[in-house]
Amino acid sequence: MGPIVEVGNLHKFFRRGSEQIDVLKGLNLEVPEGEFLALMGPSGSGKTTLLNLIAGLDTPSRGTIRVGDQLISTMGEGKLAAWRTRHVGFVFQFYHLLPVLTAYENVELPLLLLPLSAAQRKQQVTTALELVGLTDRMRHRPGQLSGGQQQRVGIARAIVTDPTILVADEPTGDLDAHSAEDILNLLVALQKSLQKTIVMVTHDPRAAARAARILHLDKGRLVRETGPDSAESLFQRAVQPD
Amino acid sequence: MFESTLRSLDERIMAFLDSPWNVVLAALGLFALVLLYAWAPYVRLVVKSMRRNPLRTLLTGSATFLLVMVITMIWSVLWLLDLVTAERSRDFKAIVTERWQIPSQMPFSYERILEDGGATRRGDVKPQNVMSWQFYGGTLDPKKSRENLVFFFALDPAKVLTMMDEFRDLNEDEHLEMQKMVRAVQEDKRRIVLGRDCLKRINKRVGERISLFSINYQGIDLDDCEIIGTLPEGRLTLFGLMHRDRLNNALDAYERKNGSPHPLAKKSLNLVWLQIPDTETYGKLAEQIANSPSFADPAVKVETASSGISSFLDAYRDMLWGVRWLLVPAILATLSMVIATAISISVRERRIEMAVLKVLGFGPTRILFMVLAEAAFIGLVSGALSAGGAYLYINKAMGGLRLPIAFFPPFRIPLEALWWGPTLGILTALVGSIFPAWSARSVRVSQVFSKLA
Repeated sequence: MGPIVEVGNLHKFFRRGSEQIDVLKGLNLEVPEGEFLALMGPSGSGKTTLLNLIAGLDTPSRGTIRVGDQLISTMGEGKLAAWRTRHVGFVFQFYHLLPVLTAYENVELPLLLLPLSAAQRKQQVTTALELVGLTDRMRHRPGQLSGGQQQRVGIARAIVTDPTILVADEPTGDLDAHSAEDILNLLVALQKSLQKTIVMVTHDPRAAARAARILHLDKGRLVRETGPDSAESLFQRAVQPD
Repeated sequence: MFESTLRSLDERIMAFLDSPWNVVLAALGLFALVLLYAWAPYVRLVVKSMRRNPLRTLLTGSATFLLVMVITMIWSVLWLLDLVTAERSRDFKAIVTERWQIPSQMPFSYERILEDGGATRRGDVKPQNVMSWQFYGGTLDPKKSRENLVFFFALDPAKVLTMMDEFRDLNEDEHLEMQKMVRAVQEDKRRIVLGRDCLKRINKRVGERISLFSINYQGIDLDDCEIIGTLPEGRLTLFGLMHRDRLNNALDAYERKNGSPHPLAKKSLNLVWLQIPDTETYGKLAEQIANSPSFADPAVKVETASSGISSFLDAYRDMLWGVRWLLVPAILATLSMVIATAISISVRERRIEMAVLKVLGFGPTRILFMVLAEAAFIGLVSGALSAGGAYLYINKAMGGLRLPIAFFPPFRIPLEALWWGPTLGILTALVGSIFPAWSARSVRVSQVFSKLA
């Protein structure tokens, strides 16, 4: 399959006073459709910035980003917002569900932006909640759900619009080992059953091991590309040092 | 039974649709309902957002409620004053009073000449109707203490329902009751009618007979005055009405008894109302009266009722100006600031939520409108409750605001307040929430999440 995400000569810098901080330095990347890609690297390496740029949450200082057939690097804020609704599903580390809404209403949120009838919205929300196994909790508020369940609602919200890509920023970072395993299993299942392209930022080698490909960033550059096996061995070394 | 109910409903609907304003309002209401239905999920989101911090929402709403109520009351007073001081071009009244003296004291004979409008030549104009006013202050206490003082208008009862604006918009029952009382006073000149508060103040009941000891007409005491009823709710509540012949006969009797006329016998007419069809007639009539030798001693002046009231209100001019242009804007600014503070705190607390909404695809404008809608909703509900509450409580429970401004009856909250209140609530809420809403729309997603990380 051809690349669904194409990043060319991507630069991103921020200014702090007179100082320019280069976060991404001429990065090139292609993500084939249906791939589960993990981005790893130390703090400040630019992985979250890259994820935000691919998800259209920020605009590059230089370079191009193409997702599907859209060149998103030239879009304005309003256009990007409309594009995100249809093409990006975002999974947050801290779930970020709206506390006053039920699980159902949280999942329904992105659909409010699409020209769908109430019945169509209901069908899509129910399907998404079925996929994450939470149909029995749809009337619960986030405060009444465990961390793992909240993240499942977050994933249902991310997939409910059937987006082109799913981006996840440390999706297991706030979960215990058991819940993290469940969430990773769910992501892999979604990627396999729905052929979703997933780009995930993680510090966790065990989470990265579930991806088909791992890209390592350091100081704004791609420094290494490995497979899931190397991540697994990294994990083994981390838990059993010599 | 069912058919008559249906017919009555049909009549009510047709009567409602008679006014173009009602049609416009109904259409707007329908449009608002359609929008509410179409945007139901957004409305739900906005309403649920307000439930996040119920105490803050309640406090913001309460502040809006109170301030809108204060403004509704102030505007009701100003609205009525504007209404009575607004010059009319058709069917208005001219007031004739003594030119050089306050209080005005004219000979009663002026009334008959004024019925002709001072017309002396062919082509001179006449007023459509004339009403004379005599003021009589009497107390129930023979020692003339002021505790049980009643201020009467001595009038021709026949003119009460045809000339006095206070009794123009009575309902059917009130009108019939007034007609009955007018007839009764015409039949027996000892009969009097009192305003409701006046009756309460002197602690008497309908049917009782009282003696009045005059304060302004020394020696003209009126015995055996029978209270036959009260004036309709909210009308001349502090005053009483009596037949003018009762006063004039007493003045005549004084002369017969004492051999000389009462010192005020030729000064008993306080003012005269002339009903005028249009401004052109008014101009001619004013000129005729001004040039008539019949009104030389004392000289009189003619002015429109509105300008007469305006002259009277001159004493309150600075205070009214301050209320209109300083107090009301200050209250509105305070209200906006209260709302701005509450919404700012709310937006600051929900920066992450705003960022999440942006990630989900909510555009900046949509977020701006959601925050504005939240504030507007609080303003609308609080404003509507406030104006509705003020209307019901002040008009129905209190019988109007009793402010001691001239002879004005208690100030009632006009029906118009029912749209002022919500509109005021919405507008001030929108003004107050512009900056917080702008701040919410400008939330930068990457910055919010980088700070969080």
